[in-house]
Amino acid sequence: MHIAIMITVVLLPILGGILIPMLPFHNRKQMLIYIEALVLVNSALIIAMLLDEPEEAFVLFRFTGDLRVSFHLDGLGRIFAAMAAVLWPLAVLYSFEYMKHEGHEATFFMFYVITYGITLGVAMADNILTMYFFFEMMSLVTLPLIMHTQTREAVLASRSYLYYMIGGAAFAFIGMIFILAYGTTSTFVPGGVLDPAKIGDKTNMMLFVYVLCFLGFSVKTAVWPFSSWLPRAGVAPTPVTALLHAVAVVNTGAFAAMRVTYYSFGTELLRGTWAQNVVMVLVIFTIVYGCSRALKETHLKRRLAWSTVSNLSYILFGVVLMTPLGLAGALCHMLFHSFMKICSFFCAGAVMYKTGRSYVHELDGLGRRMPKVFVIFTISGMALMGVPGLAGFVSKWQLAQAAVASENPLAWVGVGALLISALLTAIYMLTISVRAFFPGKDFDYSKVADAEDPNWLMLLPLTVFVLVIVLFGLHPQPFIRALQEVASVMTVS
Amino acid sequence: MDFIRNFSFFSIVLSLFSGPLSSILGRKWAKRVNTAEIILLGLMSVAVLWYVLQTGEAFVYTMGHFPAPWGNEIRAGVLEAFMAAFFCLIMLLCMWGGVRERESEIEASKQNLYYIMVNLLLCSLLALIYTNDLFTAYVFVEINTISACGLIMIRQNGRTIEAATRYMIMSLLGSGLLLLGLCFLYDLTGHLLMSNIQEAVHALVANGQYQTPLLVSISLMCVGLAIKSALFPFHTWLPDAYGYSTVSSAAILSSLVSKGYIFLLVKIFYRVIGFDIISSSKVIHVLFAFGIAGMIVGSVDAIRENDIRRMIAYSSVAQIGYIYMGFGLGTTAGVIASIYHVVCHAATKSLLFIAASGITDVSGGSRHFEDLTGAGYRNKLAGVAFTVGSLSMVGVPMFAGFISKLYFAQAAVGHTVKMLPTLIALAISTILNAVYFMKTVIRLYTPVKDGEKKAGYGTITVRQQPVKAVALILFILLNVILGLNAEPVIGLIRTGLEMFS
Amino acid sequence: MSDLWILSPVLLTLGVGIFLLVWSFAEHILAAKAFRPAEPAAGSKPEKEAGLKTVHGLAVGTLLAAAVLTLGAAWSGDRSVTLFYLMKDIPIYFHIDDISRWFVTVVTVIWVLVGIYSTVYMQHEGEEKRFFGFYLLVYGVLVCLDFSGNLVTMYLFYELMTLASFPLVLHNGSREAIMAALKYLFYSLCGAYMGLFGIYFLYRYCSSLTFMPGGTLSPEAVSGQAGILPVAVLLMLIGFGAKAGMFPLHAWLPTAHPVAPSPASAALSGIIVKSGVLAIIRVVYYIVGPDFLRGTWVQYTWMALTLVTVFMGSLLAYREPVLKKRLAYSTVSQVSYILFGLAVLSPAGFTGALLHVAFHAVVKCGLFLTAGIFLFCCGKTRVDQLAGIGRRMPAVLWCYTLFALALIGIPPTSGFVSKWYLAQGALHADIGVWSYVGPAVLLVSALLTAGYLLPITMKGFFPGQEESSGSAEDTEQKQRVQADTAGAAKRQEPKAAMLVPLLILAALALGMGLLPGVFTDFAGGIAALVI
Repeated sequence: MHIAIMITVVLLPILGGILIPMLPFHNRKQMLIYIEALVLVNSALIIAMLLDEPEEAFVLFRFTGDLRVSFHLDGLGRIFAAMAAVLWPLAVLYSFEYMKHEGHEATFFMFYVITYGITLGVAMADNILTMYFFFEMMSLVTLPLIMHTQTREAVLASRSYLYYMIGGAAFAFIGMIFILAYGTTSTFVPGGVLDPAKIGDKTNMMLFVYVLCFLGFSVKTAVWPFSSWLPRAGVAPTPVTALLHAVAVVNTGAFAAMRVTYYSFGTELLRGTWAQNVVMVLVIFTIVYGCSRALKETHLKRRLAWSTVSNLSYILFGVVLMTPLGLAGALCHMLFHSFMKICSFFCAGAVMYKTGRSYVHELDGLGRRMPKVFVIFTISGMALMGVPGLAGFVSKWQLAQAAVASENPLAWVGVGALLISALLTAIYMLTISVRAFFPGKDFDYSKVADAEDPNWLMLLPLTVFVLVIVLFGLHPQPFIRALQEVASVMTVS
Repeated sequence: MDFIRNFSFFSIVLSLFSGPLSSILGRKWAKRVNTAEIILLGLMSVAVLWYVLQTGEAFVYTMGHFPAPWGNEIRAGVLEAFMAAFFCLIMLLCMWGGVRERESEIEASKQNLYYIMVNLLLCSLLALIYTNDLFTAYVFVEINTISACGLIMIRQNGRTIEAATRYMIMSLLGSGLLLLGLCFLYDLTGHLLMSNIQEAVHALVANGQYQTPLLVSISLMCVGLAIKSALFPFHTWLPDAYGYSTVSSAAILSSLVSKGYIFLLVKIFYRVIGFDIISSSKVIHVLFAFGIAGMIVGSVDAIRENDIRRMIAYSSVAQIGYIYMGFGLGTTAGVIASIYHVVCHAATKSLLFIAASGITDVSGGSRHFEDLTGAGYRNKLAGVAFTVGSLSMVGVPMFAGFISKLYFAQAAVGHTVKMLPTLIALAISTILNAVYFMKTVIRLYTPVKDGEKKAGYGTITVRQQPVKAVALILFILLNVILGLNAEPVIGLIRTGLEMFS
Repeated sequence: MSDLWILSPVLLTLGVGIFLLVWSFAEHILAAKAFRPAEPAAGSKPEKEAGLKTVHGLAVGTLLAAAVLTLGAAWSGDRSVTLFYLMKDIPIYFHIDDISRWFVTVVTVIWVLVGIYSTVYMQHEGEEKRFFGFYLLVYGVLVCLDFSGNLVTMYLFYELMTLASFPLVLHNGSREAIMAALKYLFYSLCGAYMGLFGIYFLYRYCSSLTFMPGGTLSPEAVSGQAGILPVAVLLMLIGFGAKAGMFPLHAWLPTAHPVAPSPASAALSGIIVKSGVLAIIRVVYYIVGPDFLRGTWVQYTWMALTLVTVFMGSLLAYREPVLKKRLAYSTVSQVSYILFGLAVLSPAGFTGALLHVAFHAVVKCGLFLTAGIFLFCCGKTRVDQLAGIGRRMPAVLWCYTLFALALIGIPPTSGFVSKWYLAQGALHADIGVWSYVGPAVLLVSALLTAGYLLPITMKGFFPGQEESSGSAEDTEQKQRVQADTAGAAKRQEPKAAMLVPLLILAALALGMGLLPGVFTDFAGGIAALVI
């Protein structure tokens, strides 16, 4: 049964999601109960699966020859799956309240739930083809979510989203072909699958292909120069921007980059080459670039989106260090950043939902009226900038340690970039909190008299997230050990 | 079961004679006979396929039992039979999918004529597929051209006449070049039967004689067929011909007619000249270069296009480019990929044309993008079908296009020089495809504001157009099956190609 | 674990601080709710007064209790507590050593005195619950900072201190104050991140991040890889130096201190800047080790930066007409005295630096409190408005004069002792030409200090009619000065709660100079340990 469970957790949300608009619900409440139950059951199944630790691979079907869609749960996938299992039910809960004012709930939840299944597909992909398959699916099912408001802006945003995604996939495709052609197998093997005998003197070509492939997958992670889609996609309803464009979709890109770097091409081939330098320079640049753009941005959600751009590149920075420590750091930031950013986004969403304000300069004095939301927002902001005792510090510490230990001068520059970015993060996050709490001497509080904290559907996820952030910050040891265990399989060579 | 050997010949003759039959029947009956005939032909082709797979080798059917060089031969192998069956299937679905348009767009008196043309076309396609005689092939190429012209012209408006004329001129130019090449070859070898020519050509190459005339002959045949199948830069006739004819015609033209010529080219490569000679000649480099150029230029033209039918037509130019690029790789893997793409493109492009007609129906008959806004909600099935077709063309996994892209790429990796150009061209072309196809899909699903509703917007449900709905659903299924389980088809192509030599 | 009680003052202040903040918040929400029924919540005055009395009582009581606990913890021997592990081999670890003791005592004394002073002063600033809430929070964080036993713990509280103290700066909520607070915040964070950069590298090159006198740099990790390490250390120095107002990251200080309420600026100038000093001491003497830096380009760069700051600070203070700004510039200059003492890496320099930490804290705090009194009682901010103030508040001005003398370094005040050691340290250290340049700069700066502090005393006691009439100022100002002088004719000393802390500080400033033996011995003991 434990093999079948792998396919169940992928298919259950997909099929259950498709059913949402078809089932004859009598009222909204029934539908919501169905959705939450669906998601919870799936999360429970995932946790059961994680505890069960199935070893074998499950082959869903074969495209042709040895190209097959199959699942296998390894350490890396386990982390990603666990993350999704925790975040989805909470995000769905939040959406129940938020989506009230957006409408078209059935369609929305259909795609929202389907994405859950697709994300797990990515997490459990056994080979590069399966991953590519779900990677593309992910782009497609999230498209309607971006278009949800169906304004002209949303349509344009979804269009550019799609172009970027498919363009990225097209280049990732090249990398996949090379893995198929020059690898001993297409499955993911820690340390890479490339066959030196087949490569021969084509090392440079392989490196070039790696750069293409890495960038292709990283389009989802919004690495410069492919980052502009992410802030534009912020027109989507907040649950989408929060869960998908700060966590699921973008982490899929980072996850794919990890797979490609550590499990397909292998760090042996890449470390210390010009290819590593090229991607690292791009990533380091993105770290600073994202933050600077966030600083200039006055729209709250877009500001957070730019912040995501920068933080995702932290993850990629860990990835391109190409050491086990780097991978552990990357995983750590992937995990921690998800909670931090979803928390900030949900706060922003709560503000938009309750007051309809979406620009930073409109937030003056709201801290007094929505203290819970803004305290949580401030904590998540401090976590993002890396105040010790909160999650961000720990993951940055891991990344920086990995960078310092890698003995690569470029990585040292990267450490500097991390800190510059931390400063910029402080500026763009804390100015919001300061505005909200200290609007100025003669601020007229009657202007914000209508605002108030949202109900428990929104506050519960926020509270959970903030507790997790503090937990990660104060007691990260078990998590880090688990992550390092996952990464330590890389040390075989 | 040896009588199955007759089936391939029967199917050609049957389709040839059901044409005249259609002319004397009533309109309804002609339609029914036509459908029955196509189904029958398809079944016969399937039977042949089954037979060949059973025996494990191709058979040669000598008409009237006159041996060569006097008699005329038909040869059926796995690939031939499969192609015949597949073409019949696509033809059937195209006819179903365009049935309403045919009835509304074509004068009632000429509808019987349409069936005659279709019969002739199918006949010529089958003949092109099965024949083992180069000159017979030429004859049916001409028949094919003429019936295709008829299919374009039969919907009468000024543009189709112009389009048909252009098509005619370009096509005849192509036929002429083909004929010229054929004459050279006959001159060099003294044979018209393919197998005989191949022996003679190999002898020539082995002796090192007549290299230049041989090269010229190959080039002439290639160029001739390239013009007819609309390889860039000979594609200018295509958008008008596909864009303005009735939808069945467009679907048939794009997915069958041009594919017939391409299949003939494959036969020439393998059966007439020998693939080893082809792959060492410089002709394929030219094909490769123009194939890649076609991929890019076709897509760019499609992006600039503002008319959904013409956009799909330009997309065909790009897809034809893929196919020639596969040939240009000069490896069997490349040819397999190309033939698979023939199949996949046939399944997808006709789907797109038919879905597009469904979409324009609910948009006041307009084919301009701004009028298509929200059409996906008004005709749900057509919207879904168009989306599936688009995704397949873009090369998203789960749909047919992805597999052919995969095979092209894998074929390219084996090649030292052409690897990177091919892969990068594939990537760029994917992006370009995404730009125009997904732009359209997004427009289909952008809702119309209440104030902007135009006259002529209606809604169509599945129940209102049962035949078309069936055709669309079958096309969607075909696409998904080809995308998820390509192994059998690839296997057939591979064995078929092995049987060629 | 039995030593966990040393954190009790922290718990106490944090608890009460947070309680006050929540109270302040709840009040706001209630007020906003009450706003809608249109009746402004003009709670009856006695009730409000009573509420304030509770707040003051609570704050001062907590402070006193915490102070007793803190001092008890600090002076009852070397204690250490490992709270929990933040990461493998990085615990949150507290350890009380002599440096902790020294700093925490200074902090406690100043904090209690300023706290008492604030109960009166803050009445005209308002939002007292918020002020005392943050004030207590900062105290708790500072105690933790002083007790920290390893670099990461210190960094943790260093950053928390920044975050907790910046609301004190923006207290009055004017646009200017908010901008100044943000400037303070971002300069501090920038500095902290430069420090963090160094920590990342030190973690790699040190055997542990726990503070050990003499440093923990592991030789085998450093050998051959030292290229990046000096750069990292210099960045740390500059980074932590930001808090201490060291050039080039000093610009926040003259902006932030003047806009804060005077007790806050006193605390900032007296104490918060010293935490930068503490961080530098910890990094240089307890992690990297003075031997690693001695004679390297890092030491010379650092020294040059401190001297530039000393001179520049004094010069800017000399040219500054607003009293609190002038004092802020003075802080810039004086704290770099301390840093200079640390930079020479000699025992005498270190002793002088430690002494100056305490003395300057007392003196600068006193000066700011004086400035606060001028502002609170007479609303005067500019130096030229203070003419004749001595007639009105002679006691305050006498205190001021004493502080000024101490800051200049005139015996027998405390400033003289520390400067003596600083100069000694520089002269006897093996730092080439710097051993003469340094003291020379210090001397020039002392002259400038005299130049910018003493005129206030002179004008205060002797407004000098003829001078103001002689100047080409407009007559209006002249009349105002005369009116003030007339008004100041009758003595009007401030309330006891303000005056008493001032007098205590003055006594300290003088007393520590008269009986310096205890302090020099203590500081010298630490210096001998670390060098």
